[in-house]
Amino acid sequence: MFTRRGLLAGGSLAAAALLGGCGLRPTGGRTVASGPIATDIELEGAIRFQTWNLRSAYLEYFEGLIDEFVTAHPGTSIDWVDQPADGYADNLQVDASNLDLPDVLNVAPDLALPLAQAELLLDLSEARPETLEAYTEGSVADYSDAVLGTTFAFPWYLNTGPIFYNRALFEQAGLDPDAPPSSWDDLFDQADAMGDAVDGAFYMIGQLPAIADLGMYGVQLLDERGERFTFNDERAVQMVDRYRQAYERKGLLPDATVLTYTDAGERFQSGQVALSGGSAYDVANFEENAPDLYANLGITEALTETGHANMYSQGIAVSSRTAHPEVAIAFAEFLTSDEKQKEFSRIVDVFPSTRGALDDPYFTEVDDSDTSEVRVAAAGQLEDAVSYTPPIWTEEMRVELQRQLSDAVIGRISAQEALDASVEQANRLAGVSE
Amino acid sequence: MSTTALSAQETPRTSSAPARRTKPVRVRTHAPLTPWLLMAPALLSAIVFVLFPFLNTVVLSFTDARPLVGGSFNGLQNYRDLLADPMFWIALRNCLIYVVGAVPPLVILPLLLAMLVRKSVPGIGAIRTAIYTPVIASVVVTGLIWTWILDSRGLVNSMAQWLGVISAPIPFLTDEFLLLFSSILVTVWQGLGYYMVVYLAVLANVPRSLHEAAMMDGAGPVRRFFTVTLPAMRSTMLLIGVISSLAAFRVFSEIFVLSGGTGGPGGRSSSLVMLIREAGTGLSGRLGYSSAVSIVLFLLTLALMVVNLRLTYRKES
Repeated sequence: MFTRRGLLAGGSLAAAALLGGCGLRPTGGRTVASGPIATDIELEGAIRFQTWNLRSAYLEYFEGLIDEFVTAHPGTSIDWVDQPADGYADNLQVDASNLDLPDVLNVAPDLALPLAQAELLLDLSEARPETLEAYTEGSVADYSDAVLGTTFAFPWYLNTGPIFYNRALFEQAGLDPDAPPSSWDDLFDQADAMGDAVDGAFYMIGQLPAIADLGMYGVQLLDERGERFTFNDERAVQMVDRYRQAYERKGLLPDATVLTYTDAGERFQSGQVALSGGSAYDVANFEENAPDLYANLGITEALTETGHANMYSQGIAVSSRTAHPEVAIAFAEFLTSDEKQKEFSRIVDVFPSTRGALDDPYFTEVDDSDTSEVRVAAAGQLEDAVSYTPPIWTEEMRVELQRQLSDAVIGRISAQEALDASVEQANRLAGVSE
Repeated sequence: MSTTALSAQETPRTSSAPARRTKPVRVRTHAPLTPWLLMAPALLSAIVFVLFPFLNTVVLSFTDARPLVGGSFNGLQNYRDLLADPMFWIALRNCLIYVVGAVPPLVILPLLLAMLVRKSVPGIGAIRTAIYTPVIASVVVTGLIWTWILDSRGLVNSMAQWLGVISAPIPFLTDEFLLLFSSILVTVWQGLGYYMVVYLAVLANVPRSLHEAAMMDGAGPVRRFFTVTLPAMRSTMLLIGVISSLAAFRVFSEIFVLSGGTGGPGGRSSSLVMLIREAGTGLSGRLGYSSAVSIVLFLLTLALMVVNLRLTYRKES
């Protein structure tokens, strides 16, 4: 009746069908019904709340926050878990695949988007449209997707950074430490001058440009619909060519072709690089780990040709499969409220995402503290800052861009070839290639 | 239950009863099922943790699967992409360079070391331990130590510049081939002790009479090494060659740590395993493509093993 070959083929097909989707698309479980969710009811239920590497430094703040919420809502309880910095995306992936995402979770835009695409995060533009009005437009945009038509997280804290530079190294290179680079082209000119003067004893620039740097240089990163990458235009070629020139004239650290962001920061601290991006958070780090640098630290505004500095944000999302959506949303709103964000900003050098929060004197007036100058400068930048890195920009795209730019800077390929290849690969990975 | 069993074993014989030959207890063994029952735990773990993931990888390699959103069958597209991907060819080239660069030293140097340290002289234990120590250290830790040594501001470059041997740092970690060479150096350094112990064990089994006979025939130490020791070591050397070439083909940690995870300038020092990791991880990972590279790596490793085994068989026969 059945031939052996037929059985084998049938068995293989069945196995393929069985195995093909294994562990990929999370299915099953109950999803929270779409539509508005009220939180002004008597809240009851236990939820799990996950942060990203915050427990060790801010234990007291979060314990106090949770106590305050639970005291105000006696029927609730919160199980706080904190995941280490490394492998956070992998942990989220495992939880998501097992349909076991925490009810409330700390996300960045690039982590939240794939979860939202898999319909694992609650659409807050439907559930709590009125709450979203409390946050700045730019920060909400970070967690919204035009294609999906959803907003998948409440914006939490923001960060941006001025440029730090080593005044002593500027002086050694014959550059004026009171006239640090004020534009990208100025940076490249000064990098060439430094390279000519010190011949590789130290360097002006410590790393290759990231996608956000291209954006700040005025490169159009995406098309008008925000779907297709376009960062291979003339402006981008011009920027990469300036990097190549800086490399040739020893204004760019040769190791920049293989350095990560963290490595580049270490080179700045050790005095091998004269200028670096950063945030207010770094000042205390310099004081503790690089006292020589701290003694000669110069601070200037972020370099941008668009008039808008870069901004990074963290968000708080709610799982679409939470058993207690009211409690989860209420806690997420409580955590990201104006009051709680301001409190958190006083503990750690980050900035609130709520409207008008940056008008607080804490962010506008310089005081005696070490970080206040940077804080005020950064807060000023945030007023009209833009998140240049598109949420659809993945780690694999970042690696590909760095590789291509590395080849271009070394001179193996032209800037145009490098950018064309990066754009082609990024579009292919984003699923929008021809 | 244990009480019942104990009671059955300890049922006293009455002293008045005549001694009887106890009948052997017949245990129902369910003969056909027993082997399967005994193998079940190992079989189950092999199916769950080896066979199933392997089959799943094969199937995934024919899909455009991504985490969380799933995927659909796309035929041989991943394999076509792979053949058109310059990074695949670069990674394959690097794996072959790694095999050619790492295997001969890993076969020859431990043998020479074993010859040196096999004699019982004072302090030889400490020397053996020192050579073996890198084996028990984590690859990541040793990789980081070597990074500090070979960095542009590391020990080697600083010393060489201080001595005036070089004017600019040697780009051990920023040149694609020097990075590969540095990684091979770490692999060899870390593997020496392990294979040395293997050789020491085999050397102890070489009959002393063979050496004595050769000495009576007037053979010196070098001659005895080539005519007595080396032939006795041949099968061990081939075994080490097979093991180390398979490991070298699947290299990951050394290159990953020394390049800070970047795969060197332009990623041109990446290995195939690095390529798999890079494409397949993260919430937007390309599981289908990553699986296709895994399958190709598996087939290449298999081919390498078959060639090695055939060579071994031919030489031994």
